[in-house]
Formats: sequence, C-alpha cells, structure tokens
Amino acid sequence: MARLPSGKRLPGKLFVVEGIDGSGKSTQLDLLRKWLIGEGYCVAFSEWNSSPIVRATTRRGKKKQLLSPTTFSLIHAADFADRMDRQMLPALKAGGIVLADRYMYTAFARDVARGVHPEWVRGNYAFAVQPTVALYFRVPLDESVNRIMSGRPKLKYYEAGMDLGLHADPFESFKLFQKRIVQEYEKMVDEFGLTAIDATLPLTEQQELVRKLVASHLKGALKAERSAWREVLAEEQLYGRYIRDIGTEGGRA
Amino acid sequence: MTKVEFYGYGLPDIKKKELPGKLVALEGTDGVGRSTQVALLREWLESRGYAVASSGLKRSSLAGKGISLAQEGHYLGDTTSCLFYATDLADRLEREVIPALRAGFVVLTDRYIFSLRARALVRGLDPKWVDNALGFALVPDRIFYLRADLNHLVPRVLNSRGFNYWESGMDFLQKRDYYESYCDYQRQIIDQFDHMASHYNFHLVDATRTVHQVFADLKKGIHKLVKGMKPISPPITKK
Repeated sequence: MARLPSGKRLPGKLFVVEGIDGSGKSTQLDLLRKWLIGEGYCVAFSEWNSSPIVRATTRRGKKKQLLSPTTFSLIHAADFADRMDRQMLPALKAGGIVLADRYMYTAFARDVARGVHPEWVRGNYAFAVQPTVALYFRVPLDESVNRIMSGRPKLKYYEAGMDLGLHADPFESFKLFQKRIVQEYEKMVDEFGLTAIDATLPLTEQQELVRKLVASHLKGALKAERSAWREVLAEEQLYGRYIRDIGTEGGRA
Repeated sequence: MTKVEFYGYGLPDIKKKELPGKLVALEGTDGVGRSTQVALLREWLESRGYAVASSGLKRSSLAGKGISLAQEGHYLGDTTSCLFYATDLADRLEREVIPALRAGFVVLTDRYIFSLRARALVRGLDPKWVDNALGFALVPDRIFYLRADLNHLVPRVLNSRGFNYWESGMDFLQKRDYYESYCDYQRQIIDQFDHMASHYNFHLVDATRTVHQVFADLKKGIHKLVKGMKPISPPITKK
C-alpha cells in the first residue's frame, strides 16, 4: 500500500527500485513495466532526475561543476518534488501503478556519501509517499563496476564522485564513492524495510522474484482497456497503418 | 567577526568558527524599498573604505535562470519552489557570501531565508519541514525588517512594475483579480514576517517613511555593526 506521509492510504501502488549504478535495477524495472502493461494495468513511470522544469538546472550545475554536496542534494530534492506533484501523486490518487527508477533512498545514499547530514536529507524528503514495495538490487562492487566500465568507458565528474576529492583517478574515485554508497544502502535495508534482491542471479530469475514480490500487491490497481482499436482493425479488415504514429503502444501514462 | 552559526544542520564543509566579515540581511515584502536601500548602503559603505558584496534571490549562477524559466510557465509546485529557492540560496552562500565574509567583506543580502519561509508557510507547507530544509543557512549578524503596511505598498508597486503573478499569490489564492489577490497575499506575508520578528531577532525599520529617513536608520544600525572592522583601504577624502 502506498501511503502519504500522514499515513493516509493511497489507492495506487508505488514500486521503486534502488541500487548502485550497474546493479541492473533499470533493466528489471523495464521488464516489470512491460509485464504489468501486458496484464492490462495503468502504469506510470518516473525516473530520477527527469523533471522538465528542474533538470536543466541540474545539468548546468554538473556541466559547469557548480554543485556542492548541499546544492546537489537540494536540486535533486526539487526535481523529485516536481515529479511527485506532477507524475507520481496524480497517478497514485487515481489508483494507478507508479514505477520509480530510483527514489528518495538514492538521495539518502548518495548525498550522505557526499557528506551532508543524514537527518537533514531525510527531513527534506518528508513529503515523499511511502512506497508499496522498495526493491534494493544488491550487487558486489566489483561486479557492478565491471558492468559499468564495459558499457561506458568514460565516467562523468559527479558520477565518479570527483567532487569529493577521494582520488585523482576517476575510476578509482568512482570505486571509492560507490563503496560509500553501498554502505549507506545497507544501513537503509533495515531502516526503511527495503527488500533486497540478489542482483548476481540470472536476469530471468530476478524478474521472477520481482514479479512475485509485486503480484501480491496488485489487487485493486487500476486497469485500462489497451489497444481497443485492435478489434476494429480485425472487424473492418484494416491494417492500422496510421495508428502506429500516435503512440498508444508502450503504455505511456 | 561573524560567528559561524546555522539555523539547522548547516553546511557540511564549513569548519571555521568565525569569519572576519559581516552578514547583513534586509527583509520585507515586495515594494518596501529593500533593493534601493541595499544599493544606497553599498555605495555608502564603499565610500567609507569597506569592501562590500551584495546578494539577492535568484542571483545564483546555478539556479537563478532555472527558477525564472520555471516561473514563466506558471507551474511550480510549492515544495518544488521552496527547494529550488533553497538551492539558489545555498549556492550563493557557499560560492559568494561565505567566501566574501572570509575575506572580510560586509555582505548585504536583499532578502534571506525569511522571505522563503514566509512564502512557504502562506502556501501551507509544514513549518518543521521548511525549517529543516533551510537549516543550512548562516545566521546573519543583523536582520533589518523593513515594514510597511498595505496602504503604503500599493502605490509603490503601481509606480514600479505593477502587479506580478507570483507576488500577488495568483498561484494559490484562486482569485481572478490581481489587485485583490495582491492585497490578500501581501497581508498574509506581512503577518508571517510579524510572527518571525521576535524569534529571529529582527530589527524593525519603519518603511512607511521616506527613503531618506529609512536610510538614516539603516546607516545608524550598520555603523554600529562595522565600527570595529578595519576598512580595507583608507577612505578617499577630497578636500
């Protein structure tokens, strides 16, 4: 059950995935999303650091290296607040399913690893909805670092934690930074009741687990008739040549 | 010396206990004449040999432009807005105000956390949440509260920029009429400032008087504050 900070239950369901870079959480969430859409549910999706009105500022701060631990934390909270208002809350009030790729726990892990006070950042996110289920993809550091480095040879300044001055080499800095983040995540497993998933398991096994964990909470979630035009196509013997252009597929909510 | 003291958890990287400069905040509603006074005070202090820096809302290189852009679209939620302004202030504190204080400047700030706090509380945000979020802010050496009632504010606003969407509380007051909305909104903001006055040790300045009279009061107050400081260069005196 997703709940407002006041404890009030929301009709919708909020499922979030957390974990360090390279833990495979986004892949799992994407698979979950496709499955839920296939089952006929109304699914909204919200990604960390993607608010249309805040993101440009964050990008500017990263590009020009203007961000301190405090402003890094505040601007991400602003981004989150905007998405909460505009994407997540409306969908949850309507009874839909919201999938969040990273949630406030990302801020608690990263910002605290950067040196801001843990209570301060937790307080700043006090307006956040309590998720129905929060999945934490646990992966050994070496494995996640390997996954990241094989796909993307160059690390960005803040991504590598270069602002912390941990190491002059971005790659070494990244590893030290990720290690701190993992420590913060591990503390939160008990603090917030995160559900840990072994992210070294084969993809399909993880997805099975994810679906099982989610399935027990789906009762009452809003369903929508999808692709209702398919019947018309069949009946009228049309191809749907132009329907593909309007983007009804993919369950954009 | 500015004693390094914060309203809440503070800024993580500030280890110094004292800073040689002075932080002076001018607070008050829209149209009360803050910016004019900051400009006058700056020149006055500089003419006496003090190094002066000034700052104000939305002037950070990080977030200033972003806030203005977001406001144009007239969609900025209350929590988002508060955090966006907090980002702007934190950026200015860390990269302008504190370095200037460290270098012995007098820093004049046109509005501080109290404006943000008043706006947030009027819009119904939880005071505890707001205070936590703004807890990174340095406690100024002096806060001047320029107070004027609505009757004095309206003609000034009409004479300058006219009524603005956000300064009239059009985003949440649900009135179609700018004038009524402005009055209602500013009344609520003044109320919030009045409530904060004693808790935050505001120095009340009656801003219903002429610019000259207000300036004289501010000069007197600031003079006391900077008396012990050494001007950075000897004042230029022309005979």
